[in-house]
Amino acid sequence: MSGQPQPRRVRGRVAGRERVSVSMHRMTLDLDEAVRFLPGQFCMLNFEGAREMVLSRPFSILRVDGRRLDLLFKVVGAGTRLMADCRPGDAAVCLAPLGRPFPPPAGDLPHLLLAGGVGLPPLWAWRRRWGRDADLNLFGGRDGADVPWDLLDDGWACSVDRPVDVPPGREAHAGTVVDLAGMLLDGETRPRRVLACGPAPLLRAAAELARGRGWDCFVSVEERMGCGYGVCRGCVVPRADGGGYLTACQDGPVFASTQVDLAPGGEGDA
Amino acid sequence: MNPLPDWLPGDLRGGFRLGPRRFPGRVWTASGCFGYGLGGRDLVAPDGRSALDGLGAVVTKTVTLAPRRGNPPPRIWDAGPGALNSIGLENVGLQRFLDEVAPALEAAAVPFVVSIAGTAPGQFGVMTERLHASAAAYVHWHGVELNLSCPNVAEGGVDFGRDPATVRACVEAAAGAAGDRALLAKLTPNVACIAELARAAADGGAHGVTAINTLLGMDIDLSTGRPVLPLRRGGYSGPAILPVALAKVDEIVGGTGLPVVGVGGIRRLDDALKFFAVGATAVQVGTAQMDNPFAAADIAAAFAD
Repeated sequence: MSGQPQPRRVRGRVAGRERVSVSMHRMTLDLDEAVRFLPGQFCMLNFEGAREMVLSRPFSILRVDGRRLDLLFKVVGAGTRLMADCRPGDAAVCLAPLGRPFPPPAGDLPHLLLAGGVGLPPLWAWRRRWGRDADLNLFGGRDGADVPWDLLDDGWACSVDRPVDVPPGREAHAGTVVDLAGMLLDGETRPRRVLACGPAPLLRAAAELARGRGWDCFVSVEERMGCGYGVCRGCVVPRADGGGYLTACQDGPVFASTQVDLAPGGEGDA
Repeated sequence: MNPLPDWLPGDLRGGFRLGPRRFPGRVWTASGCFGYGLGGRDLVAPDGRSALDGLGAVVTKTVTLAPRRGNPPPRIWDAGPGALNSIGLENVGLQRFLDEVAPALEAAAVPFVVSIAGTAPGQFGVMTERLHASAAAYVHWHGVELNLSCPNVAEGGVDFGRDPATVRACVEAAAGAAGDRALLAKLTPNVACIAELARAAADGGAHGVTAINTLLGMDIDLSTGRPVLPLRRGGYSGPAILPVALAKVDEIVGGTGLPVVGVGGIRRLDDALKFFAVGATAVQVGTAQMDNPFAAADIAAAFAD
């Protein structure tokens, strides 16, 4: 991990929380110290006082601006329910930055970014830092209300499983984000590198698309984590070669798609 | 500043003796919650402290004779005021531990205790012998902790450590090979009378016991009606088990007078003080170490000389 920012435990406060789509919230933390991160890295977040959880929760970092850190979350369980109830001023503590980031651009190779739901932050951060005009940036949601439109500038194209609730003036292709990629890439011959983050079926489809075209593909996996810094072996992902497990927190969360077994029942399908 | 209360039995600051060894401090990290002990060394605390500062020992992740792949995911689940785990003793195996991990701990001057598990009493002896043969010259290797109670191992699991005669046999096997290192038996709380297990460990030659290992627990995912862990049940730890752990330590101290390293639900200094109040010799920080890499070091700071 040489050359990467050193992880720190930093205290702070919730500066704000807002809904960015029907299912997604953005939380902004005001930290006591600035942290640096690379796109794809994550933080382990917990609270102090009444909201303290037994285990911190992992979140990809959307953006850091000085001492302000933004992340996105969706309510999926007790921890994220508690986060949705957070108020400005609540004491928070986070360990960041953690994990292996997405690789920076390689030469002139254009990229294909495939983000699904709350899998947006690492790719949003990647595009903000390294994105170029030749890249294709695609976001997929369940329907129009599930898309965080305000986060997606003109450089992003959207797909929705169900073409309803798409706001006036916005466009969303009906289908999966990988369908949309297939359509937009139809007839294109130049190679790309694929970066994907989202639900397991999206990662599998992204890996399949890349394999079919002979392209590199990097995926960021989502797993339940205990520690986030490699000591508990709780967040394992099966290796593609059958030789045991890799950890999402330390070996990942970003892997070459050929490194890990993304088959159903393997990595985080739950 | 003296943050320690007057009622504490004796002076708990600085080093202390346990069996044949002098440990540099009474606050340790527990096995399985802090890797092999070096995983947190690159992290930076808000006050600049290292996660290893002032620790009396790190107890390594449990090592077995052969490497173990561990259990399928999900392996960890936040269940209310505690955490369920089903890691399945994933580890690099004794040989790689001796070749790579132990030398790194020694070189980093981290005081350490090696946690080992076997599938038969004789294996504890064989492993302790090999450990001693390879690490006898290490000054930072202080002891062996026998993991007699990990509930996740299919071929023995919790029953293995529930039987006093088996506990005694395991300890005896290791005691013959432990030489001048402290020998601890880590006991399961999933029994009616833990003091009986502690007595068996003492009869086998243990210098003390570590109590408690995780409670057997499970949780159900209400969206599917199925257990959250693929192997159904796992080890339950964290703040929820602190009162249980305290009662078990109290039972052992009262019933046997053996030195007890208390563990279970300790997150901060106040929690640790409760264990010392019932007579624990030292304490270990487990699950809290996963949430906060500096939890044990923060507590240890209060016991510095």
